[in-house]
Amino acid sequence: MKPELKVKIAGVEFANPIMTASGCCGYGEELANIFPLSKLGALVTKSITLNPRLGHPPPRTAETTSGMLNAIGLANVGIDSFITDKIPFLKKQSTKIIVNVAGSKLDEYIEVCSRLNDIETIDMIELNISCPNVDEGGMEFGADPAMTEKSLKAVKKVFNRPIIAKLSPNVTSIVQIAKAAEQGGADAFSVINTLLGMAVDAETWHTKITNNKGGLSGPAIKPVALQMVNAVYSNCSLPIIGIGGIRSTEDVIEFLLCGATAVQIGTGLFIDPTLPVKIEKELSQYLKRKKCNSIYDLIGKVRKY
Amino acid sequence: MIKPTCEDTFLLKKRNLKNDYFSFTFRPYAQIKKCKPGHFIQLQIPKMDIFFRRPFSIASVTPDGDIEIIFKIFGKGTALLSKLKKGDKVNLLGPLGVPFNFPKKNEQTIIIAGGVGFPPLMYLAVEMIAKGYDPKSIQFFYGGRTTDDIIEKTRLKKLGVNFYPVTEDGSFGTKGLVTKPVEEFIKSNDAKMRIFSCGPTGMLKAADALGLKYNIPGQLSLEAPMPCGVGICLGCVKEKTDGGHARVCCDGPVFEIGEIVL
Repeated sequence: MKPELKVKIAGVEFANPIMTASGCCGYGEELANIFPLSKLGALVTKSITLNPRLGHPPPRTAETTSGMLNAIGLANVGIDSFITDKIPFLKKQSTKIIVNVAGSKLDEYIEVCSRLNDIETIDMIELNISCPNVDEGGMEFGADPAMTEKSLKAVKKVFNRPIIAKLSPNVTSIVQIAKAAEQGGADAFSVINTLLGMAVDAETWHTKITNNKGGLSGPAIKPVALQMVNAVYSNCSLPIIGIGGIRSTEDVIEFLLCGATAVQIGTGLFIDPTLPVKIEKELSQYLKRKKCNSIYDLIGKVRKY
Repeated sequence: MIKPTCEDTFLLKKRNLKNDYFSFTFRPYAQIKKCKPGHFIQLQIPKMDIFFRRPFSIASVTPDGDIEIIFKIFGKGTALLSKLKKGDKVNLLGPLGVPFNFPKKNEQTIIIAGGVGFPPLMYLAVEMIAKGYDPKSIQFFYGGRTTDDIIEKTRLKKLGVNFYPVTEDGSFGTKGLVTKPVEEFIKSNDAKMRIFSCGPTGMLKAADALGLKYNIPGQLSLEAPMPCGVGICLGCVKEKTDGGHARVCCDGPVFEIGEIVL
């Protein structure tokens, strides 16, 4: 029997647990030129803000040991252009569409989410309360439990489908923030966004990106992400989408074992844009080899000492 | 847009051209027939501390249907790449980017190459000649710091193009900056012209300025640190003259003269 790759999060069914991570696949057009997006469980768009943003001036990415540092600065087309120019393309894709929403004020989150409520193509919203690369908002929302709860409550009122809270690792207790998001009405968690970091050139004495600090991603952060996924899994009851340094099928399995129901691939797409297709195939083979009937036979099954 | 593929290929031929300059030929490459001058590829250098792929413009498609790149050791990535041995496996992503538009047949082609920016321009000249352009309509200006930075002289001369080597120290060809003899050529010719340039930013800036000053259309091939190469990371952007950002990897690397703030 062919093992079942389908997973369900907050009532939404995904063909497989592989999603793209926000900010790593634009609005899907470029990836669709490389493989059919139907191969994905879901496409998670770049963060959408109320107004268009150009982002920080280049250089805004730097290579680090087993990873990368970025401060793109939420470059995006803004909600108006997203609806007019990007939604028609997304409508034609036979994969689930999750729109990541960011803002610098609560009112902006509310406005963007309420505009998205009218668009049926959108299956879920992922609330970015954890971006390290904007001066206002972003991470501030997700670093304070009260603000987290308030934000979730506010957007839940204007968007009638599930909302995922994307959590920041740059906090003392991610579990405390997760609980606040749950309290606010979140339907799922994305764990984790990037870790705040810095990269310096020893020759020129210069920081490597114009924003000086940025978000660290890639294999370097995978152990941090696994621990946080497992901590949230052990202490909260909502489904988790695991993110952080996925480069292979083994990495995906590790996240599932730690408690994730699905995963997102971000920086890994930059090295191999065909990675989701490869993983989807190998995941099936893995389940067969381990005599598992479905993804659910792996979720949270990590054996601890 | 060409659909790029990600495939394993092998180092078929390795030549140390001069000092830090290398020519690598890879086989097999399924997309070879889709390659055009101006396209580039992203190579994954098989070492853990080299995380991003490295972009290389295509220097030629060999008569046997293999792909050649020419590079100079510039940093950690190219240093490790230069140590690969014949038969070593490398993963290749491509072809990527927007290629050059060929000039009109009645136009004089002004090629302005700087240092290791010459490979895509050599590829352009080769393909133009194959398509029946008169080699003598191609003015190949090639600048470098010293004679050591002018690579593949014999190969270029063999093409039959008008070859103008220029070095800053005068150790080979005309002494000075490459754009100076280019300007002299432009001033002394009434023919319709088109500029193609690739090289260091300072030279591209001068080539861009020449095009604008003398109202000569043309294209510049740009370089930028490039995490993904397919337009999804937004790491390689440059400022456009009419506002906004352009991605070097997929809106370029070939841009029109006057399009980008250099």
